[in-house]
Amino acid sequence: MFKPKLNRFPAVLLTGVLLILAVIYISLTNGSFDMTLGDTINTLLRIHPDPDNTTVIFEYRLPRIVIALLIGFGLGIAGAVVQGVTRNGLADPGILGISAGAGAGIVIFIFFFQTSVITDEWYSVFVRPLFGWFGGLAAAGLITLFSWKRGMLDIQRFILIGVAISAGFSAISMYLSLKMDPDDFQKATIWVHGSIYHATWVYIAAVLPWLVCLTPVILLKHGMLDLFQLEDISVKGLGVELNRQRLVLLLCSVGLVSACVSIGGNITFIGLIAPHVAKQLVSVQHRYILPVSGLAGMLLVLTADLVARTVAPTEIPVGIVAAVIGIPYFVYLLMRGKS
Amino acid sequence: MLRKNWLMAVLYSPALLLLGVFISIRYGAAEISFQDVWHAIVHYSPDNLSDNIIVTSRLPRALGSILIGCLLGASGAIMQGVTRNYLASPSIMGVSDGSALFVTIAMIFFARSSVELMICSFIGSLAATCLVFGMAKWVPGGMQPVRLAILGLVVGTFFSSVATGIAIYFKMAQSVSFWYNARLDQMDLSVIKLALPWAALGLLMALFLSKSVTILSLGEETASNLGMKTGLVKGIAMISVALMTGASVAIAGSIAFIGLIIPHIVRYLVGTDYRWIIPCSGLMGGIFLCFADIASRFVNHPYETPITVVISLICIPFFIYLVYKKGGKHGV
Repeated sequence: MFKPKLNRFPAVLLTGVLLILAVIYISLTNGSFDMTLGDTINTLLRIHPDPDNTTVIFEYRLPRIVIALLIGFGLGIAGAVVQGVTRNGLADPGILGISAGAGAGIVIFIFFFQTSVITDEWYSVFVRPLFGWFGGLAAAGLITLFSWKRGMLDIQRFILIGVAISAGFSAISMYLSLKMDPDDFQKATIWVHGSIYHATWVYIAAVLPWLVCLTPVILLKHGMLDLFQLEDISVKGLGVELNRQRLVLLLCSVGLVSACVSIGGNITFIGLIAPHVAKQLVSVQHRYILPVSGLAGMLLVLTADLVARTVAPTEIPVGIVAAVIGIPYFVYLLMRGKS
Repeated sequence: MLRKNWLMAVLYSPALLLLGVFISIRYGAAEISFQDVWHAIVHYSPDNLSDNIIVTSRLPRALGSILIGCLLGASGAIMQGVTRNYLASPSIMGVSDGSALFVTIAMIFFARSSVELMICSFIGSLAATCLVFGMAKWVPGGMQPVRLAILGLVVGTFFSSVATGIAIYFKMAQSVSFWYNARLDQMDLSVIKLALPWAALGLLMALFLSKSVTILSLGEETASNLGMKTGLVKGIAMISVALMTGASVAIAGSIAFIGLIIPHIVRYLVGTDYRWIIPCSGLMGGIFLCFADIASRFVNHPYETPITVVISLICIPFFIYLVYKKGGKHGV
């Protein structure tokens, strides 16, 4: 059953990369300032660069595209891990409140340690993901604590508690952000809704280490994720330290999510959809699911950002576009699922 | 025992309501003393500043919060009774979001008067109710409490995302967000007057239905064996919920969690008979929202804290407790 699907992996990977390149091209050339293909290539390769084009591409569009790619990749992989570990196709870092927890952690950091909300100082940009990580961990811990009953993790309750925790953390973020300056508050609101409007190269540098460090760990543990799809007893019978492995994987995915949230705000439903797309395309082995899920996430965020940027006369937060695309799919998954 | 609790609720709640109104008028950003309040009641003059504050701002706010709490509490009680679902409530089932979405669309494309907006708000809440329950029929096991709640939440998020997207697209975000963010501080007496007949109609329908809801809460089969037209009762219940939620969204935007939590507390107090639960939920909801509103003025004095934050912080622990306690019981 899996045999024919295995061979599709290279083809899927190639198609994904090509599609992403196509969307990158469209994103680079389109916007409130249109450019021709020749201009773009000339600017990118530094052949007779026009200062206007250089500014548009290197200061605005390129960082934004790179950030969209990084966030999409991080969320896609984190989503695949969370779904694998909880053995639940409906899990998503956004729905589960991990993103909201990370957001609250970051707002707390901004509130207590910084006078201005979004500065481009290196220090603040780099420490932010760390606080997000603590917040995300707190959220993940609380959710697990409350949905654990009689030694088992009830999946439905897991989601609902996640929604509640998410609402709670959002309330905390909202309360704290209201106590900030009005100017900062405005920026914080945009950021909480999920927007990569203010992408700069510093943000990229801040999020890159997390992705570079955590992704290989997750990729190396793909076999573990496959094992988790079995019953707990069987996994233990194979001599796996179940809880420890689970913990490591969850910590990694929370780290990825926090890094993404710290620059992109709360973008939900990407982590939900990407793994499902991956599972439709390649086999159920996580060796293939993880990279494809990352690619799918990249494509989704990039497209959502393109839509958010170009469709409306004013910018729509990416998170909202992602939700509008993602929710019908979520309902579809619910409808297909077993009772 | 039950009867005594019910009596107690009836005896205490007017006193609590009056107290709530009084505190709500007395305390706030501007200092207003007892004498000022008395002055405003006995000889009101539009030129006096404190009289003006009391009549145009504080009083509508107190009465409005009581009315909204009452409407949300009662509609939560009806929804929980009819669906036999301990998580049902206007905000979780996406009803308020549907209402907000329709108001947004109406505001952008055609409606100008408050009446039209209010009617759109009713239609929106009705549409959302129908959509969520219709989908629950399609989704396998969709009527299980937790599943239904997830479905409702997701549909609600979808509605609110679409509403935000449309609002931003047409550059109306500011005036639209005015409609669907909870805003007890900008209560308009004329809107309350406009919504009052609808709200009263919804409440009367709810009270009229309460006996049937009790029977329905025993289970659909039992109810139809007892000779009840369950479809009719459900239909009227939906309309009543749509009227009440729509009216409350029109007055003050969507306020979460009240419709969920209040009926549970009331059920704990007065038992399982919806003839008591529905009116008592209304009373309790009013009292709760009134005091939450007062609290929102004190948390960060003299600035106001959004009522959503106050309610979330009070109610979310309770919600988690509910899910934790009941989540595994009925095979959900």
